Amino acid sequence: MKMGVNTEIAFTYLISRKKQTLVAALGVTFGISMFIFMNSLITGTNEYSEKAMLSATPHIRLYKDHAMSSASLLDNYLGRQTVNLIVNPQLVPDDNRIDNPEAVMQLLKRNQLITAMSSQVSANVLYSHGGVQENGNLQGVDILQQDKMFDISSTLVSGSVKALDNNPGSILIGVGLAERLNLQMGDHINITTSQGIVKSLQVAGIFKTTIKSIDNARSYCHASAVQQLLQRDRAYITDIFINIRDHHQAPAIGRQLEQLTGFTAESWQSNNETALAGQKIRNIIANSVVITILIVAGFGIYNILNMVIYEKIREIAILKATGFQGKDVIGIFIRQALFIGMIGAIAGMVFGWLISLLVSHVYIGAGNVTYLPVTFRIRHYVQGGLFGIATSFFAGYIPALRASKVDPVQIIRG
Amino acid sequence: MSIALQCDHINKYFTEPQRFRVLNEVSFSINQGEFVSITGKSGSGKSTLLYILSTMDTDYEGALYIHEEQLSGKGQPVLAPFRNAHIGFIFQFHYLLPDFSCLRNVMIPALRAGRWGREEVEARAYEKLRLLGVEDQALKPASKISGGQQQRVAIARALINEPAIIMGDEPTGNLDSRNTAVVFDMFRKLTAEFNKTIITVTHDNDFAQRCDRIIEMVDGSIVST
Ligand SMILES: Nc1ncnc2c1ncn2[C@@H]1O[C@H](COP(=O)(O)OP(=O)(O)OP(=O)(O)O)[C@@H](O)[C@H]1O
Ligand SMILES: [Mg+2]
Repeated sequence: MKMGVNTEIAFTYLISRKKQTLVAALGVTFGISMFIFMNSLITGTNEYSEKAMLSATPHIRLYKDHAMSSASLLDNYLGRQTVNLIVNPQLVPDDNRIDNPEAVMQLLKRNQLITAMSSQVSANVLYSHGGVQENGNLQGVDILQQDKMFDISSTLVSGSVKALDNNPGSILIGVGLAERLNLQMGDHINITTSQGIVKSLQVAGIFKTTIKSIDNARSYCHASAVQQLLQRDRAYITDIFINIRDHHQAPAIGRQLEQLTGFTAESWQSNNETALAGQKIRNIIANSVVITILIVAGFGIYNILNMVIYEKIREIAILKATGFQGKDVIGIFIRQALFIGMIGAIAGMVFGWLISLLVSHVYIGAGNVTYLPVTFRIRHYVQGGLFGIATSFFAGYIPALRASKVDPVQIIRG
Repeated sequence: MSIALQCDHINKYFTEPQRFRVLNEVSFSINQGEFVSITGKSGSGKSTLLYILSTMDTDYEGALYIHEEQLSGKGQPVLAPFRNAHIGFIFQFHYLLPDFSCLRNVMIPALRAGRWGREEVEARAYEKLRLLGVEDQALKPASKISGGQQQRVAIARALINEPAIIMGDEPTGNLDSRNTAVVFDMFRKLTAEFNKTIITVTHDNDFAQRCDRIIEMVDGSIVST
């Protein structure tokens, strides 16, 4: 019952001054809708750019780095009676292969967090066709594994992944390269390595990713073809690409894999530091804008409640004279603030959704972005609503506290 | 006969514009069921005294007991519920809440007390309004009725929680002689039949003469009780 009467009074005050209530609620609506829209757009943009990054980069790349010369051999040979030091240690040149890749892959397969793996052997090569030459990077892969990882099939403009898989003498090339060398499906292309080894491969497909540097230079063929070009054995593998369930955890899982296998793991984040820094800055800008808007909305509520209290000061005095306590008065005004916040937040969620929807239909057509990438996440709406209500609460609390301190005698005496 | 209200050596000072004593060693006691009026010239401290008796003002020296409970020295968290339950107060200028209907104005202190359910509170509020002859105004906003009607609604509000003590600061100041008589008769009935205690400040000599007892104040002191 106690709750009831405070709520009733709060409501009556709100309804008797509809305009002010509405203006205050509009402030919150504006804040919340901007919060939701900004977050949706930023998340969408971040996800879009992440997706673009991950279309070319695996979550984790496992490879063998040059190692520093260590004293372990000396320890073996001279024993440990003395401390064996190498003065001026150097990087030991190595052929950077993954030793025994089959065994490593078997080991990795047991890890539940890994969703896809693909072994690679790559070579920098010269593509030539009809007298024209282009530099590029030829990747020898198991194309089916690679396809599972990067969804190459979806980027193919002609040909198929199957065709490459069936023919060890075939190659998938980027659309840029195809144009520069005037290559069609079924044409033969000459590959030359820096050692001067030449091999002819037949075009089995042309892909078009959204990334120009890849479309112009990268190509895929069977691992055996690259091994032949490099004059290596059939077990020569330079990298293992790994995708995991949650790509945000790549650095941590990469460290685990380093420990497990002894090879070096490179996460996609460390490979894309500049782009990720850009993401961070975007987040900060968006959050500052949103916080500013929410503070302004909070001031709106604060102002209006202050005004209400100023006008109602006699009535507050009467309520107190008839037995309402300070905490009841706080309750009455907090309820008003919360109600304003709630109305504003609900409208803000709807409005934020509408803006997001509208913007997601804006055609951009810049580079490979067609429409603005906008996400629709329940999380943003819930967060927005909670933020709005919290802001209203704090904005209402200060004037409410002031109202609760009104001395009825002073007011009634006039 | 038991004592409804007692005050002992109450002193009060105002410091603005300069320090002066508004109430000077005020002591008296009022029995339950008594109908008392406080009279005195304008500025003699009647309202000031009444605010102290009603527990709204706690800034004074001396002791105040209501129904043998000591209230001087207590804070508002104790006094507010006490006031709500035991004291009905009628202000010098009928202060109603203008955004609410007359009926709601009367109901609010009872809803606050929470002693009865909403329906019962509403029935009781109607009964009080009927008693004061403003039942037909019940659903009008409090700001849309005449001054005399507002005064009567305010009296109905003071009665809603069936308080043992009713205090009024010129409760009939805005009423014509016919309605003053209605209020007087009602107060009389409340004291005689329901053993309520009534303390009113009044300038109306007629009204005062017909009470059980007159407490007269001059310059903050009691000159006759
Ligand atoms: N807030 C205040 N600050 C300083 N002095 C005050 C204050 N309120 C009242 N006074 C003074 O205290 C004295 C008593 O005032 P009070 O209102 O109690 O008089 P009253 O007897 O009720 O008069 P009236 O019959 O006109 O209502 C007066 O001299 C008044 O000027
Ligand atoms: Mg007075």
